[in-house]
Amino acid sequence: MRGAGVRVSTGAALFGALIVWVALLGPLISLLAHLTPASVWNALSQPGALQPLVTSVTASLVALAVILLLGTPLAYLMARGRLPFPRIWEAGVILPLLTPPLVIGLLLIFMVGPATPIGAALSHLNLTASDTFFALIVAEIYESVPFYVLGAMAAFATVDPALEQAAALLGDGRWRTWRRVTIPMAAPGLANALAVTWARAMGAFGAVLIIAYHPFGLPMQIWVTLQETGLASALPYALVLLVVALPLPVAAYIWSARARRRL
Amino acid sequence: MLVADFEVARREFSVRVNVQVRPGERVALLGRSGAGKTTTVEALAGLQRLSRGEIRLGGRLLSSAWYPTADVPPGRRRVGLLRQDTGLFPHLTVLQNIGYAREADPAAARATAERLGLGALVGARPRGLSGGEAQRVSLARALQAKVGLLCLDEPFTSLDRPLSVELLELLRRELDGSGTSAILVTHQLEEAQAFAQRLAVLHRGEILQVADARDLVLRPASREVAELVGYRGWLSSGPQTMGLHPDRVYPVAAADDWEISARVVGLVPQGARIELELEAEGRWRGRFRCRSDRSVPIGELMWFACPGAPIFRTAEQHRGALSDP
Repeated sequence: MRGAGVRVSTGAALFGALIVWVALLGPLISLLAHLTPASVWNALSQPGALQPLVTSVTASLVALAVILLLGTPLAYLMARGRLPFPRIWEAGVILPLLTPPLVIGLLLIFMVGPATPIGAALSHLNLTASDTFFALIVAEIYESVPFYVLGAMAAFATVDPALEQAAALLGDGRWRTWRRVTIPMAAPGLANALAVTWARAMGAFGAVLIIAYHPFGLPMQIWVTLQETGLASALPYALVLLVVALPLPVAAYIWSARARRRL
Repeated sequence: MLVADFEVARREFSVRVNVQVRPGERVALLGRSGAGKTTTVEALAGLQRLSRGEIRLGGRLLSSAWYPTADVPPGRRRVGLLRQDTGLFPHLTVLQNIGYAREADPAAARATAERLGLGALVGARPRGLSGGEAQRVSLARALQAKVGLLCLDEPFTSLDRPLSVELLELLRRELDGSGTSAILVTHQLEEAQAFAQRLAVLHRGEILQVADARDLVLRPASREVAELVGYRGWLSSGPQTMGLHPDRVYPVAAADDWEISARVVGLVPQGARIELELEAEGRWRGRFRCRSDRSVPIGELMWFACPGAPIFRTAEQHRGALSDP
């Protein structure tokens, strides 16, 4: 009787999992069902149709580089508990994640907009954080940075500090230990964090809508096309966004799963 | 030469160490769990801050609590530390682990791997190694670091006895003639005796006695030391307590002034021999043990000789210092 009960509950759990999986993939399946190769070709062969793609990829790459450069040390220090008042640092990282992207956009106007002290300082560098490529990068960073920092923190937390100590005892300084032990061991988790961040940066919309309506990136192009010419015209751009944004996370997931098995 | 005279503050008690180790000398730090042994070697390796004193190796100041304070980072002290947890890098192969140290030479790393019986494993990852193999790799890695002092914090405790003896012997051979000094932390007298030329006994953060391996057992300076080196019988007579080691009590045929009469109260098999539990009668009172080749009926009265047994003044119970002869 007990065996039969276990079989029923396992079956129910599998059925539930299947429903969730299909529900999550449903939008993607719907997208593919409503597109034909001809409609995609027609939309993307228009003059300047791929410019939003170039804008989004370039801005996301710059945003990713900035996040990687500044977010990695921060994530490491937080993971090792080396920052004073750790909860305050954590709150700072989580805040952009909890704040609706539209609100982030509004707040960014008050922080880096042209009428603010930071905006004035930026103008000396010929930068304006409003309706510019620079503003697009700023918006993408704010929308995606928590995903990287939190993921990288988790990745660094998996590295046993005793191994870093062992490296130090074998003659490594801090930087060398980081390069030879910490980063290689955290690499699978860092790759995952970076891939998710890439997808978020590529898809950033709420804050972008407020401070970087121009130049059009892919999400903005989808929105404007939807508003002006309807759903059917916007779908090819949605497909392009998925095709560009998703392979990196999928590749990172496969690579990190293999790398973890080796550790 | 290592010259260390320092104190490290801990919550329960401070660890005070004053020890000198000659180049190439092997010293064992013997003590119970929580005596401060690990704190001592961690201080030598630069992982603990000194609250007093200083540490010098080969004349070079490594740590100093005096002004101007000094604290050479672990990687630049030329002090190695081998722990029970091997700390092998899982993302590197065995050979890459062995050759990890900054000064390591790839050819020497391969030669060390061969010498330590790791030749067939150089391409393997640490995850697939047995406990003994992992310790061998850790040992080979520590030897490649070309340190002036190698600290061994009970590195082989988790291994079975024959394997730990084999690895200690291997380590001894590698250290011989290398000029590298070594400090072995252990709570096992046999291991300390097998490895070291001198033994230092640490008890609640203080070194109670430093002696050569045999002297420590024959002439323990206090009851704590005696207990640690295997004395298990304590007989009292007025203000004195005599310590008896089961290996140094012998049954004798006839009574003498220095001999003890005792009745057999129990028998405990000890390998090929039998340990007799005895209740002393006469001038000395108390219980002690003696190893015998033959079984003896319970209740039998026997005579025992215990030449050179240390006698402690019970007036100084807290330290039980050795009585003047």
